[in-house]
Amino acid sequence: MTTLEENAGPVNDPTTDYNIFDPEFVRDPYPTMHEIRESKCPIAHSDRWGGSWFPTRYEDVVSIAQEHEIFTSRDVVVVPRAAPISEGAYAGVAAPPITSDPPDHHWHRRLILPVFAPQAVAKYEQSTRDLCNQLIDKFIDSGEGDAATDYAQQIPVRVIATMLGVPIEMSDEFTSWVRGVLEIGLTDPKVRLENRISIITFFKQQLEDRKKNPRENDLITDLLNSGDKYPVTDQYVLGVCNLMLVAGIDTTWSAIGSSLWHLAQHPEHRQQLRANPELWPTAVEELLRAYSPVTMARIVDRDTEFQGCPMKAGDRILMSFPAANRDPRQFERPNEVILDREHNRHVAFGSGIHRCAGSNLARLELRVALQVWLERIPEFSLIDPAAVTWAGGQVHGPRICRVRF
Amino acid sequence: MCSIAAPEVFGSDELGHATVLIPGDLPAELHGKARRAQANCPEDAIIIEE
Repeated sequence: MTTLEENAGPVNDPTTDYNIFDPEFVRDPYPTMHEIRESKCPIAHSDRWGGSWFPTRYEDVVSIAQEHEIFTSRDVVVVPRAAPISEGAYAGVAAPPITSDPPDHHWHRRLILPVFAPQAVAKYEQSTRDLCNQLIDKFIDSGEGDAATDYAQQIPVRVIATMLGVPIEMSDEFTSWVRGVLEIGLTDPKVRLENRISIITFFKQQLEDRKKNPRENDLITDLLNSGDKYPVTDQYVLGVCNLMLVAGIDTTWSAIGSSLWHLAQHPEHRQQLRANPELWPTAVEELLRAYSPVTMARIVDRDTEFQGCPMKAGDRILMSFPAANRDPRQFERPNEVILDREHNRHVAFGSGIHRCAGSNLARLELRVALQVWLERIPEFSLIDPAAVTWAGGQVHGPRICRVRF
Repeated sequence: MCSIAAPEVFGSDELGHATVLIPGDLPAELHGKARRAQANCPEDAIIIEE
């Protein structure tokens, strides 16, 4: 039950049979989320894709995120693996701390937090701004461009490559590997495994290089040298590199892409942001709420009943942060983008001990990317709304989004 | 999030965890920003004592 063909077929009742890779759901998941959320079964279940639960209310998603002892992070991908992680040439390389549970989770996270603190990510602001301007330079004279592939997709990969100290010239390969794991590979196990192997093989070489030639102010060198404080292994460092690449790239690029797709259709919001730059902090949070890209999974540790749902040990739960962030019980007028929204306790970055470690970097990239775009291209519109393509399942965002200006 | 909503009131340590910058009572002009930070804290972790 791991391919599109095996899981295809019409969905009659989304509360018992949703399909996260149904083309219509991938394009616009919010009507289905609304239907489930307001039904008698706000925590839906489906047997497709190996079976999963799908909570859609804010309160339920947050409760599950907080109960990390019952709802574990031993696997966070929205579909099961074709082969167990304990097998094969890359056994044991996970993605700490996102795939770690306490007690190891604590030091797994502790070691990477300093590089993502607000004061630490602030030093990437100017270089991100320069990068955004260079990207726009390439297509601005033509009067049109692809907000997803020419712009959004190009930004986070370069920021993360800089942080990791790996060659920026390899950005296209990194992007292709990450899509192979998190996008195309989710419905094609062979693609997923091949790209996972590419990522781990690449970082194995990087680790060997740093052991022979340690660098100053280098994340991989610093992680390898943290053995005096914590029981650091090569597998841990490989896992962290894997996570930073996989989690740091198409998540943020999707948020940038969705926001530009929104702005392309809302001249009043473009105008509002140009006239009131003090709106940026709340506007960024609102766009993150309305177009939350990420859905993460949890694995049930032991048989338990949650809100009347009989969950069994090993069951998968899809933490739909996008659905939670449009729950009218938590957000007034949830389907509207209100750039100066006062109360916005959104969970685009998750909640609890696994709350996104890179949120400060993601916010910075999203804000700078949108600011530079609006400075250079104040007025723009979709060339053909029907021609915009989307990815979904784990990370939701536009993949082709052509605009004219 | 709180340090974005109320940078005068909240900062962050070297791990990025939030810290309170002003010990004791907040000046009246910062009450609005502090409440905004409270209303937007994703972990519901801010308590304002009055």
